[in-house]
Amino acid sequence: MLRLTVSRALNGAKSSPTCLSVASRYQSDQKKPDKIEVFIDDKPVLVEPGTTVLQAAAMVGVEIPRFCYHERLAVAGNCRMCLVEVEKSPKPVAACAMPVMKGWRVKTDSEMTRKAREGIMEFLLVNHPLDCPICDQGGECDLQDQSMAFGSDRSRFTDIDFSGKRAVEDKDIGPLVKTIMTRCIHCTRCIRFASEVAGINDLGTTGRGNDMQVGTYIEKLFMSELSGNIIDLCPVGALTSKPYSFTARPWEIRKVDSIDVLDAVGSNIIVSTRTGEVMRIVPRVNEEINEEWLADKSRFAYDGLKRQRLVTPMLRDNNGDLNPVDWEAALITVAKVVKHAGNSIGAIAGGFADAEALIALKDLLNRLGSEHLCTERTFPLDGSGTDLRSSYLLNNKIAAVEEADLVLLVGTNPRFEAPLLNARLRKAWVHNETDVALIGPQVDLTYHYEHLGDDPNVLRKINEGDHEFADKLKRAKKPLIIIGAELLERKDGGALLSTVQNLSTKLNSNEDWKVLNVLHKVASQVAALDIGYNPGIDKIKSADLKVLYLLGADGDHINKEDLPKDCFVIYQGHHGDRGAAIADAVLPGAAYTEKQATYVNTEGRAQQTLVAVSPPGRAREDWKIIRALSEIVGAKLPYDNLNQIRDRLDEIAPHLTRYGNAESANYFKQAAELSKKTESAIDCKPIDVKIKELQDYYMTDSISRASPTMAKCVQAVLKQKQSACN
Amino acid sequence: MAKYFGVDKIFAFLRTIKETGGIRASLYKIYRFDNLRPGTLVGTDKFGNKYFENPHYFYGRNRWVEYAPKYGMDYDGSQVPAEWFGWLHYKTDYLPTNDPTRPKYEWMAEHTENMSGTPGQFMPYSTTTPKIQAWVPPKN
Amino acid sequence: MSSTLLRLKQVSKCAVNGNWVPRALSTSAQRLAETTLKNDFALLNPEDVEHKKKLQELITVEGTTDLSPISGVPEEHIRERRVRIYEPAKNCMQSGTSNIGHWQIDFDTRERWENPLMGWCSTGDPLSNMQVEFSSKDDAIDYCEKNGWTWFIQKSSLEKNFKPKNYGVNFAWNKRTRVSTK
Repeated sequence: MLRLTVSRALNGAKSSPTCLSVASRYQSDQKKPDKIEVFIDDKPVLVEPGTTVLQAAAMVGVEIPRFCYHERLAVAGNCRMCLVEVEKSPKPVAACAMPVMKGWRVKTDSEMTRKAREGIMEFLLVNHPLDCPICDQGGECDLQDQSMAFGSDRSRFTDIDFSGKRAVEDKDIGPLVKTIMTRCIHCTRCIRFASEVAGINDLGTTGRGNDMQVGTYIEKLFMSELSGNIIDLCPVGALTSKPYSFTARPWEIRKVDSIDVLDAVGSNIIVSTRTGEVMRIVPRVNEEINEEWLADKSRFAYDGLKRQRLVTPMLRDNNGDLNPVDWEAALITVAKVVKHAGNSIGAIAGGFADAEALIALKDLLNRLGSEHLCTERTFPLDGSGTDLRSSYLLNNKIAAVEEADLVLLVGTNPRFEAPLLNARLRKAWVHNETDVALIGPQVDLTYHYEHLGDDPNVLRKINEGDHEFADKLKRAKKPLIIIGAELLERKDGGALLSTVQNLSTKLNSNEDWKVLNVLHKVASQVAALDIGYNPGIDKIKSADLKVLYLLGADGDHINKEDLPKDCFVIYQGHHGDRGAAIADAVLPGAAYTEKQATYVNTEGRAQQTLVAVSPPGRAREDWKIIRALSEIVGAKLPYDNLNQIRDRLDEIAPHLTRYGNAESANYFKQAAELSKKTESAIDCKPIDVKIKELQDYYMTDSISRASPTMAKCVQAVLKQKQSACN
Repeated sequence: MAKYFGVDKIFAFLRTIKETGGIRASLYKIYRFDNLRPGTLVGTDKFGNKYFENPHYFYGRNRWVEYAPKYGMDYDGSQVPAEWFGWLHYKTDYLPTNDPTRPKYEWMAEHTENMSGTPGQFMPYSTTTPKIQAWVPPKN
Repeated sequence: MSSTLLRLKQVSKCAVNGNWVPRALSTSAQRLAETTLKNDFALLNPEDVEHKKKLQELITVEGTTDLSPISGVPEEHIRERRVRIYEPAKNCMQSGTSNIGHWQIDFDTRERWENPLMGWCSTGDPLSNMQVEFSSKDDAIDYCEKNGWTWFIQKSSLEKNFKPKNYGVNFAWNKRTRVSTK
């Protein structure tokens, strides 16, 4: 090593950054075996040993057709579509499973390769129905596309006169996935997804050869929160989406990239719209967040966006009924009340509030002289509270979870609070031999974990070192502590957070590795805390308010009884739910598919949703409503368009407009130091989480509560739980 | 003689005022209809509109309607029901009461006036199924 | 005269938009210009020839060019539209990778409304169907700048860490990768 550096120093008078990087790569390569050279269609490529032919081909941009191979699943090698010719090999080889050897010359376009593929295609089509015109996969079907390239122009299938085509009974695996098993080509992608990613060993094959079937052995629900992904994975139309069935075709759809807000992960999604209506939601690849997966609630709760909507402003009359009015009447009435209230006005932000609306509301209330701005979800304010970002973020980022070697989950059930984070944890558990431990109620996380009990004092013992798990944590090179935001809502949340902060600082050896991670449950929380909202509504309850502004607050945290009798409640949001029911004035806002808005996910990554459809009826974008109101109240906000309000966001916290980037937080040590002043002690109440089982997962917020599909899921899960073969 | 000097016009005028019900009523009628004409009442429809005829006037001006008092100044032609329309516009000389050709069926709808510009006017509405279901607030 | 002007406009357009106008179009326009040059110049005096030649040449503009005054796009659609520059990700429903790997622009979605009789969907937005593909991010930015549109880049993270796939791990006896279902 030293000699290398010296020689570089001697010869490297002209050393440029590129030559440096070459040298450093050379250094790291000394540990690994040398790369080997192979030729794909006579194009040379250097690959790591062990690389498969298919991967090597992808590096030079040659795509080999495949059905069973999927880059995020294990290699199965059973569809044989990827057969390629290798020079001097008498038989074609399956590119997806065969590692390359030095000097191999792979021919992906030769006569032999083509004949192999055509043969496979012919065999596949023997038992595949010709129902593309009525198949939901039509237009985005791998088999359809590849049969255009490798299918024969006529059929040699004469058996139809004797025994007919193979027909397989359809399976009922729940209200989300529709199965048409006759179309199945036995790629086993769904089976591998279920067992590897979702951690459900329910799917499998029975029979051999022509009698092979994919199914659940006994008829049962596919009980996974990630079940929708097998629809995407299926290369044919055997598994399709039940709510989407026969509603739209892929070529008549408009796709809009957006962000999911139903949990705090901020998965990237594509909203497919047709005739001004959301038809379906599919995941969009983002390696840093959701890879290629999407949780079921995010994928299927979109029909909740079409029901129980607030489409017109409403005012409560003397009889106590809400009556529709026009914007002018609503705004003037509300403005009059707000003006009259002076500074005794408060606001509560709910889980779907976007950063633009949050900042507009905060500016308005501050101009009126009020500081009563709260979020629904609370967070301990002892120590540094929410002043230091590091105390409320998933600091180590979602993707880095894969690298951890020991994960301690405290008071959280990531499987249902953030299904995609749980998928990452499972990936780490499977591929990285990561160990997981949990303090909290015993729940099924789809992977094995060490249960440390649900006593919060275990945490204190670990911190003090008199617990056997403390040694394990100390020995771990990349430990991770993920603490649920729900746990911190307890009375002793401050003490718990302080304990975890101190434990994390002790474990932190590497600057780039952050041990302390907080997992939030709602999409708006991080942005609200960044902007400067107070967590929790205690302040609202204690203040004698004349006007309360609910910005999509539907979480059942505040009731009429908590407020003074004459308190005027304004609800602004998109669904008629708990908040609208107690409101005196209702202002209809836009849902996340209807506005260009900023959301910050639990790792502190700002992302923006885009407009997919127009808000229904008289509903308007949220910040515009507040801006209009401010003018009538007489405290005009100084922004007129999206760019200006984003400039304002930028002024307050620049990371809010750096879309796609997660700005790292710091001051961990200082936060831990400050938290030591926390006086409250951990009490003995056992740690609990709200969502323990699958049926609790589906309906948690105003959108999913309005969704009929989600209601069906709950019913199906409850029915399955009662059945004998659970 | 009186006719020669036109004094009978004055008598006729005074008679008309008397028939109408005095000076006040006459002025009101002039205000409402811009007109004060003597005539024989030939019928009244079920809405209270009165139909007059005076063959003294020339053809085209000798049949008229005085709208029911309930309409006030808001009268218009569509308040004349279909059966009187024909007589009023010289399509027929029969009055609706003694018109032998006038059919009378159970299913015949009652006459409605033109509601344009009133709350009862026709509003075009979407015939498609709504894509969004609105929230209906619970009633107390 | 008017035909000359027209030609000039065409040629200058090619020059300004040099990056994205197909090569064939610009060369054919040049060839056309050359043939007309020979025919027209026989009867002209040298100064006019010089002047005409200058007119036929490609115009190079220094600094940034702004096409918005002459592009014919209504001002409303230049001032108020936001262009998104993005790299389309692979469609999750399919495994093919042919139509990705480039940059695209599209415009913000505007209001759509429903025909009350048939329920058909209408939009007044002529740019809703415009999707332009570029080979790089910078090309897309240049294009937007030239047309005077406000743009933003949607960050994509499509790069996946490379890890060799291994069929053998399915059967590893001491690893969690061993398959449990078949």
